[in-house]
Amino acid sequence: MDDEDIEKAVLAYLRKKGLKLTELSLQEEQNRLSTDASHSRSQNVADSYFDGYSRLRSWAYNSLDSYKHELLRVLYPVFIHCFMDLVAQGYMQEARTFFHTFREDHELMHLRDLQKLEGILSPSHLEEMELARFSRQNKVKIRLCEYSYGLLLQFIHKTKSFDMLGVINQHINFEVTPGQPTSISDDSEAVSLIGASQDLAREINQKELHWGLLEDSVEERMEKTLSDLDKTEVEGNKEGDPEENNKKKTDGNKQGTSVSNKKKKDKAVGATGKSTRSETSMVSVAPRVKSELTLPQLPPEVELSILEDLRNRAQLNSLALPSVSFYTFLHTHNGLNCSAISHDGSLVAGGFSDSSVKVWDMAKIGQPGRASNSQGENGSMQGMHSLASDETKRPYSLLQGHSGPVYSVSFSPFADFLLSSSSDNTIRLWSTRLNANLVCYKGHNFPVWDAQFSPVGHYFATASHDRTARVWSMERIQPLRVMAGHLSDVDCVQWHPNCNYIVTGSSDKTVRLWDVQSGECARLFIGHRSMVLSLAISPDGRFMASGDEDGTIIMWDLSTGRSVSPIMGHNSCVWTLAFSCEGTLLASGSADCMVKLWDVTSSMKALKTDESKSGPTSRLRLLKALPTKSTPVYNLRFSRRNLLFAAGALSAGS
Amino acid sequence: MSIVPKETIEVIAQSIGIPNLSPDVALALAPDVEYRLREIIQEAIKCMRHSKRTVLTADDMDSALNLRNIEPIYGFASGDPLKFKRAIGHKDLFYLDDREVDFKEVIDAPLPKAPLDTAVVTHWLAIEGVQPAIPENPPIEAIVAPQDGKKMDHGKDDSLPVDLKLPIKHVLSRELQLYFDKIGELILLRPETALFKEALLSLAKDSGLHPLVPYFSYFIADEVSRNLSNLSILFALMRVLKSLLSNPHIHIEPYLHQMMPSIITCLVAKRVGEQVSDNHWAIRNFAAKLVSSICRRYGHVYHNLQSRLTRTLIHAFLDPSKALTQHYGAIRGLSALGPSVVRLLILPNLETYMQLLDPEMQLDKQKNELKRKEAWRVYGSLLLAAGSCLYDRLRLFPGLLSPPDIQPWKTNKKIALTHLPNNKRKASSTLNSHQPPTKKLAVDPTGANSQFPSTDGPATSSSCGSNPNHHHSHNSSNNNSSSAGNITNTNTNINNATGSGALAQRMAGSAVLRQAWKEDMDAGHLLSSLHSLFGEGVFSFIQPADMHLFI
Repeated sequence: MDDEDIEKAVLAYLRKKGLKLTELSLQEEQNRLSTDASHSRSQNVADSYFDGYSRLRSWAYNSLDSYKHELLRVLYPVFIHCFMDLVAQGYMQEARTFFHTFREDHELMHLRDLQKLEGILSPSHLEEMELARFSRQNKVKIRLCEYSYGLLLQFIHKTKSFDMLGVINQHINFEVTPGQPTSISDDSEAVSLIGASQDLAREINQKELHWGLLEDSVEERMEKTLSDLDKTEVEGNKEGDPEENNKKKTDGNKQGTSVSNKKKKDKAVGATGKSTRSETSMVSVAPRVKSELTLPQLPPEVELSILEDLRNRAQLNSLALPSVSFYTFLHTHNGLNCSAISHDGSLVAGGFSDSSVKVWDMAKIGQPGRASNSQGENGSMQGMHSLASDETKRPYSLLQGHSGPVYSVSFSPFADFLLSSSSDNTIRLWSTRLNANLVCYKGHNFPVWDAQFSPVGHYFATASHDRTARVWSMERIQPLRVMAGHLSDVDCVQWHPNCNYIVTGSSDKTVRLWDVQSGECARLFIGHRSMVLSLAISPDGRFMASGDEDGTIIMWDLSTGRSVSPIMGHNSCVWTLAFSCEGTLLASGSADCMVKLWDVTSSMKALKTDESKSGPTSRLRLLKALPTKSTPVYNLRFSRRNLLFAAGALSAGS
Repeated sequence: MSIVPKETIEVIAQSIGIPNLSPDVALALAPDVEYRLREIIQEAIKCMRHSKRTVLTADDMDSALNLRNIEPIYGFASGDPLKFKRAIGHKDLFYLDDREVDFKEVIDAPLPKAPLDTAVVTHWLAIEGVQPAIPENPPIEAIVAPQDGKKMDHGKDDSLPVDLKLPIKHVLSRELQLYFDKIGELILLRPETALFKEALLSLAKDSGLHPLVPYFSYFIADEVSRNLSNLSILFALMRVLKSLLSNPHIHIEPYLHQMMPSIITCLVAKRVGEQVSDNHWAIRNFAAKLVSSICRRYGHVYHNLQSRLTRTLIHAFLDPSKALTQHYGAIRGLSALGPSVVRLLILPNLETYMQLLDPEMQLDKQKNELKRKEAWRVYGSLLLAAGSCLYDRLRLFPGLLSPPDIQPWKTNKKIALTHLPNNKRKASSTLNSHQPPTKKLAVDPTGANSQFPSTDGPATSSSCGSNPNHHHSHNSSNNNSSSAGNITNTNTNINNATGSGALAQRMAGSAVLRQAWKEDMDAGHLLSSLHSLFGEGVFSFIQPADMHLFI
């Protein structure tokens, strides 16, 4: 009797103070206690969840249009928590029926999660499965406008669905915003279930990020000399060329004659004329940052070859599309796991499931198709041609050493080294000149899914099933940094052009950007709905593209951490992404046997003009879809001259 | 409750040696089994993705088990998809079809081919954004088709890749359609009119007919097969073909493969025309000419055109079961292809063939007049072929012609030493004995003969005049040509004299000419065996060669 009195008093107090939610939750709590008390009511519990949810659902679906999408957003967390509550209380059968009855509603948005959750069959599984554990432990944050929130409360009160109220209280944090409901396009924020991550993301994404390009890069120096040249040009032409405004148009052809007695490098640059300038001007917009790593010095002859390539670069835009040279692997018997192409396309490597790595020297095979194009490009590789002459029988050099399927291969920037990562937990470094294994890096505890050389060489990053990404230098067998934070496998890794950051894509459907120097997560990108398979960062270092298992490609702004434009790009896994050298085009290759070219410039321009607007709705424009003949595209790479190389294995079976 | 029923758990328990598992345990285990299965599959999917595949294999499952530190399951290779069979009488019970393998079979089986080694080939997927139409790239229409297809059958599952190819619409202007219809009508209904001749002229000259070529080629192929008994239509069709071939504005090569069969049909068909009296020889000759002109013009484009053609013809020629008419067509076709073809393909087979033909030609052995007639036709065509071949040989060695009277006879003496004594002399004797009847039969043999001695005189006189062979062969050939003159009117206008000459010989039925032919055969034999001598050996009795000499 005492209890009842106290209860009444408490309730009265709460009513008086107007703490409606607390009151309701109290009642709900009592309800549950009482239901738990006797086993005979077990059916009631399940039914009440069932009824409560179905009522909430039909109410949400019948709500006013302008608030509907907000209210529907509440349904999903309520749904999975109802399910998990039922499981936790041991009502397996009921949980199952509940799950299957309402599963359909959420399949569109959360299919992958549902597939995982479906497997939960006992309370112990809740503990074991990371997705379930995280979502039980953390609250989901949902943004509602004031009015929607009011509507929701009203409904719960009216219908007295205390189960639902309990679920909502326990697992959802409402962030009530005054004014109009948010737009539908922000839905992507509601995709992730891992509640804390959104706060975390917000927090992380406020960190400072220096996304600019490296100081003193070859490109920059080239541009500098170019502008110096312009100045001398102006001085030299002062009396002869009074209209300085027209200078830009005319000096392109005049340079050819005036630079004859200048330094060698100037000469190389001078001939590029206008095209180079307009192309590099885009790069020059990007701020310059200092490297935090000690970077290796470029040998002068390499630098010259880079300059040569830059000079001969074909300029690409939405009207001038690149040429695509496709390397088809034949007779792989489904054994090819990955491939890599050197910067000039002369070397092609494949990693196979039989633990081998094979490297083809295309210059030696002498393909007439690209001979003309890469003649200048492989000038630096002359030494290569003499190697591997001992293996005259095979057209490729076979690199054996791994003891498990090879999951990635990556060439160093000048193609003298090759990295391979395997399911035997190791990464191996090979010399393409000697065709021999140099180093075996051990450190990961599980298969290494991806390994990528940094843009300057020497350093490389790896991603593994052990949920970490690691940064290594070639000369040490221990990793320099371990990046931990992903909640599931790290599936892919990519370097930022300025070498100060790496980005990783994971099976937890997020992409993270890590500071190499500190090893901390600097950005968290939430928005993918399935595992992230491929990444690419634009050459100006500002944007990133990520592709996932469903075929979605999302462009991100690194500085804000927000998605710029989601694209439903392909029908199947996006294996690879590549930006053209000026960053005007994005190429994507997929398991649906397509290479697609996307227009980056126009969509980014649109973004720049209305940057004040928050709606990131601009979509990437598809410029061209190039189907292959039943050859999934494994790898894409733009050469420094903007020739696009693609590789894939012919799958005759399918 | 869980997908795995507790019965399954019980069965598995029994199979690993736990005979009495309590139902409670099974019930408790079932959900966990399902959960573990899902877990393994999730890991396997990761492995699949990193192997850049979209199909899960047994290898992926093994790697997933490895990831979880569980012993992989042995015995399931990823090679072929496992074939599950439904157990009879059960709706949802499946088993693996695991055949018993006999060791003996495995040991006796030949070694399988070694799989090809991995290779990399390159091609241009796109050149400045445009896909070149090369075999490495998918065909253009296949690109468009899926989009349309998707709209049409949206619900269709995409597990089966269906190669959709929509038919391409070939737009033909109204005028061209009218033109085509008109020509078709002319061919079928009024092939004899002047209008048709105009049409042929137009076909041979007009530009802009190219869109019609596929239609014509189809039309011709179709009508030839339908109208084999109607000579006039066949002739018209062949004429149309000839006009099309001669049109300089038409790029006809891609359609040749459609046209060749109809021409060859006209050439070597067993029966062309409705009645026996129909002059199917003419159409065969016409077709032979067409064939040779095609070979001359397109032989360099289609390097195997001539070889395929000659193979077809030589098969027809050498098959004794084929009708004589077919032989005739084959011989005509081969000889139209040029003297070298004749030399290489006909002459080596000549002797054996003659043995076959001989009884057919003789009055006493072959009672059927029609058959005999045909045999003589064949004979004539052979003679023409061999003759033209010889003629060509002679032309090739001009040295033989400039001193025609000295060198030939020198070499002929050699032959006389080797061959003539037994063979040709006998021939001459028979010839002599049979000469009078021939002359009688021929209407104007003397006129023809009188011409020859004057021109022939120096040759015979300068050389050893005792060689009757030479002398006589002239006579016989003269007989041929002269008798041809009067018989042609009974027959239709076949343009070659030898063909009708052969007829004349048949009419005469004389052994003289057969003997003469035997000489020819000997000459053919010589031709193949004695390269330097063969020209002169038969030189004298081959009409074209003679004519060339005398002109």
